[in-house]
Amino acid sequence: MDLSLLPQALVSGVLASGLYALVSVGLALAIGVIGIVNFAHGEFFMVGAFLAYQLFVSFGFDPLLSLLIVAPALAVIGGVIYLSTIRFVLKAPELNQMLLTFGVGIILQNLALVIWGGDPRSIANVPYRSIGYQLGGVSVGMVPLGSFVISVALVAALYWTLARTPLGRAMRAVAQNRVGAGLVGLEVNRVYLVAFALSALLAGMGGVMIAVIQSPTPTVGLAFTLKAFAIVVLAGLGNVRGIVGASLLVAVAESIVATMVPGGDALRNAVFFAIIFLVLIWRSRKVA
Amino acid sequence: MNRLLRDLLVALALGGLLALLPAALRELFGRSAVSYLTLATNALLLGVLALSWDMLARTGQLSLAHAAFTGVGAYSAAVLLRFAEVPVWLGIPLGGVLAALLALVLGAATLRLYGIYFAIATLAFTEVLRTVVQKLPAHIAGGAPGINVPPLFRPTFVAGQMERWEVAFLRNQGYFWVYLGLLVLAVAISIALQRSRLRSAFTAIRTNEEVAGVMGVNPARTKLVAFAVSSFVAGLLGAVEAHRLGSVSPDGSFAVHTTVLALVTPIFGGLYTTVGPILGAGVLAALEETLKRTFSEGYLIGYGIVLVASILFMPRGLVGLLTGIGRRLTGRGSRGAGATTGTLDGTPLPSGDPPSASTEAKP
Amino acid sequence: MTTPILRVSGLTKRFGGLTAVSDVSFDVHEGEIFAIIGPNGAGKTTTLNLVSGLLTPTGGSVTLDGADVTRLPTYERCHRGLGRAFQVVQPFPEMTVAENVLVGAQFGSRGVSGAEARRRAEAALERSGLAPLADAPVEDLNLLQEKRLEIARALATRPRVLLLDEVMAGLRPAEARAAVELVRSVRDEGVTIVFIEHVMPVVRDLADRVLVMDHGAELAHGSYAEVTADPRVVEAYLGAEEEA
Repeated sequence: MDLSLLPQALVSGVLASGLYALVSVGLALAIGVIGIVNFAHGEFFMVGAFLAYQLFVSFGFDPLLSLLIVAPALAVIGGVIYLSTIRFVLKAPELNQMLLTFGVGIILQNLALVIWGGDPRSIANVPYRSIGYQLGGVSVGMVPLGSFVISVALVAALYWTLARTPLGRAMRAVAQNRVGAGLVGLEVNRVYLVAFALSALLAGMGGVMIAVIQSPTPTVGLAFTLKAFAIVVLAGLGNVRGIVGASLLVAVAESIVATMVPGGDALRNAVFFAIIFLVLIWRSRKVA
Repeated sequence: MNRLLRDLLVALALGGLLALLPAALRELFGRSAVSYLTLATNALLLGVLALSWDMLARTGQLSLAHAAFTGVGAYSAAVLLRFAEVPVWLGIPLGGVLAALLALVLGAATLRLYGIYFAIATLAFTEVLRTVVQKLPAHIAGGAPGINVPPLFRPTFVAGQMERWEVAFLRNQGYFWVYLGLLVLAVAISIALQRSRLRSAFTAIRTNEEVAGVMGVNPARTKLVAFAVSSFVAGLLGAVEAHRLGSVSPDGSFAVHTTVLALVTPIFGGLYTTVGPILGAGVLAALEETLKRTFSEGYLIGYGIVLVASILFMPRGLVGLLTGIGRRLTGRGSRGAGATTGTLDGTPLPSGDPPSASTEAKP
Repeated sequence: MTTPILRVSGLTKRFGGLTAVSDVSFDVHEGEIFAIIGPNGAGKTTTLNLVSGLLTPTGGSVTLDGADVTRLPTYERCHRGLGRAFQVVQPFPEMTVAENVLVGAQFGSRGVSGAEARRRAEAALERSGLAPLADAPVEDLNLLQEKRLEIARALATRPRVLLLDEVMAGLRPAEARAAVELVRSVRDEGVTIVFIEHVMPVVRDLADRVLVMDHGAELAHGSYAEVTADPRVVEAYLGAEEEA
C-alpha cells in the first residue's frame, strides 16, 4: 500500500460523498416524512440523468442549465407518481409498499430502455470536463469538484428548509406525529405530496451530475436505490442529519480501497456494503 | 386421516398429475411444445424460489439474500464437480446443505435486526459475497467469467428415429421433472411447517417477537430453523439451475434480480401460505411470457403496471382475492385455518427495535 | 421460612440518565398474592419487565425458585414457570382467540405434545370464559375479552408465578369482581400471583402483601392496612392526584 496516495484518496472520497448524500437525503425524506419505503427512488436519479442527456443532445444545453429544467420536471413526475399510486399505500405494510414502488421502478426503467436503449450515455462534450487542478500532488477534477459543491449546496438548502421554513416545520411535525399534525390543521396529504416531489427532485439533480461524471445506462437506478437505502439505514431511519456522516464514511472508505489497494477498483461495492453490514450488526448487538 | 398426511398426499398426487404435462404438451403442440415446456419449467423454478422465500418471511425476516443462497448452491455444485468430481446426485444436495450452513451464519449475525434494517443487511451480505467469489483465485472459482457446468441431461439425436426438436424437448423434459420434484419437496416442507407448532411460532414472532418470547417461544432458534429450511431449498434450486444454464458466474449467480423475483412473487400470490407463492409464480411466469410475445421490446413496462395494479387492487395477493370471492359466494364469514386470514393490515413503519411490549419508563 | 419462589434484590434499571427502577427488593412466597402499586411512572411495569426478562437490569438480581434468572432470556424464564399478562393488551393480531392461547400452551413448557397443548389451551379458554369465542378473530374482542385473553394466554403456559399488569384497568365493577374471582381461583390452585393495580378496592380484596413504588424506588412495603396508613404513601398518592 502506498501511503502517499492517501491524500488523493481522501479528497476523492470526500468529493464523491456529496452525490451520495444528495440522493440519500431525498430517500430519507420519503421514508422519514411520508413513511414510504420507496424502491423507485434510484429511478428518479436515472430519469434525471437521461433527461439531461437528451437536453444536451437535442438542444446542446449545458448540464448546469439542465439542472434548472430537470428539477421542476422531476418534481412533477414525483408528484404524479405520488398522486396516482403512493398515496394509496401509505398505511399498507412495508412489503406492499416495496412491491408497488418496485413496480413503478420497473415501469420507469423500461420506459427509459425503450427510449434510449441499453447503451451507456454520457455528456462528454462539456468544456469543463477536462479542467483539473493540482494541489501538492492531489489532483482535483472540475467535474467532481463542481458536483460536490452543487450537492453540498442542495443538501444544505434542504437542511435549511427543514429547520427554518414553515414547510420544513410542517414536514418535521408530520414526521414526528401524523395524528397530532392532522389535529393542528396541517394538511398532511399536501405535505406528503410536496415531500415526495422534493425527494424526486433531489434524486433527479443527482442524476444530471452522474450523466457528466460517468456514462450511465437506464439500469443505473436500482444500484443507486440500494446504495441510498444502505446509507439511509446506516444513518438511522428518519435521521436526515445523519446522512452526511454516513455518506462521508462509505465514500471515503470506497475511495481509499479503490485508490490504495491493487485492483481495488473492483472492490468498491464490496467495501461499501461490507461497512453497512458490519455497522448494522455491530449496532444491533450493542443495544441489548 | 391425519391432516398433515392428507395434505402431503394431495400435494404428491397433484405433482404426479403435473408430471404428465410434458407428454400432454407434446401431443397437443408438437414441436412448439419445447417452448411451452421451457415456460412451464420457469414457472416451477419461480414457484420453488418464491415458496422458499416465503418460508423465511413467515418469521418476519424480509430477506434480500436469496441470491446469495441460490448463488452458493450453484457455486458449490460447480466447484465440487470441478475438483472432486462429486456426482450430481450428491453435488446438488450438498449445494443445498452449504447454502443452509451459510444461512445459519447470516441468520445468527442478523438476529437482532428487523424490517428494513434486516433487509439491507442481507442485501449487503449478498453484494460482499458476490465480490468475494469473484476475487477468489481463478483456478478455484473461475473469477469474473465463472465456471462451466455440464448439463444434467444429454439426449442424443438418433437420425431416422426422431426429429431434431425432440432432442431439445427431451432435455427440457428432464429439467421440468427435476424442478417438479423440487417443488413437491418445497411444498412438502412448507406443509409440514404449516401443520406443526412452528406455524404458531413463526406467526407469533412475526407479529410480536417480545410477546412470543414471554409465551415461551425461542425467537432465535425459530428464526434459524426458518433460515436453514428456506436456504436449503434455495441452494438446491441454485445447483440445478447451474446445470441447466451451463455455467456459474458472480454476476449471474448472485444477481439482485433473483432476490427481487423471490420476494415479488409471494407478495403477488399471497404471503405466508403454501398456495400463494406457487399461484403467483404460475401467473407471473405466464404473464411475462405473454407480454414478451405481444410487445417484444419494453414488455416489462406492462409487467410493472401489473405489479402496481395488483398492490392497488388486491393488497392480499391472489390468495386474498380468491378467498374473498369464495367467502362472498358461499356467504360465510368464517376464516380458514389462518392460512387465509391475511396479514396485510397495519404493519407499522419498520424500525431498528423489536415492537416494544413495555410502555412505561421508556425515554 | 421456606425459600421464596420469587426473590428480587437490589433491582435497578437506568435508561441513559433516567433511573426507572432504583434498588427494588422483595420476596414473594409460593401461593401468595403480591401487589405492586404506585402512581403513574413509578416504575411498576418496568419492574415486571425486568422480572420477565423483556429488559436487562443495570444492577441487582431476580431469583426464581432458588435459581438466578437475571440474565436468562424471556422464553427460558417462561419455561421455568414465569407467566405474564400485559397491561397494554397485545394479542397476536393474525390469529384467532384459540390460536393465541395455543401459542402459550405449545411453547410455555418444554416437551408438550400437540394433544396435550390443545387440552391445556382449551382448559385456559374455559376458565377465563373465552371458550365460546375460541374461533373468533382477536380484532372482534372487546376490552374485557382482550384482558381475559391476556390472562388465558398466560395461564396456558402453566405458570408457577403469574405476573399481571393492570388487568382490571378499564373494567366495570361487576367485570372487575369476576376478574378478582378468577385471580383468586388461580391462586387457590397453587399459582403465585404478582400484580400491578390502580383500583384500590381490588388491591384490598386480593393482596396478601403490597409493595408501594414511587419514582422507581420502594416507598412502603407490608399489608394493605399498613401501607395505606403510611403517611408517605398518602402523600405520594395525593401528590399524584394534584398533578393529574
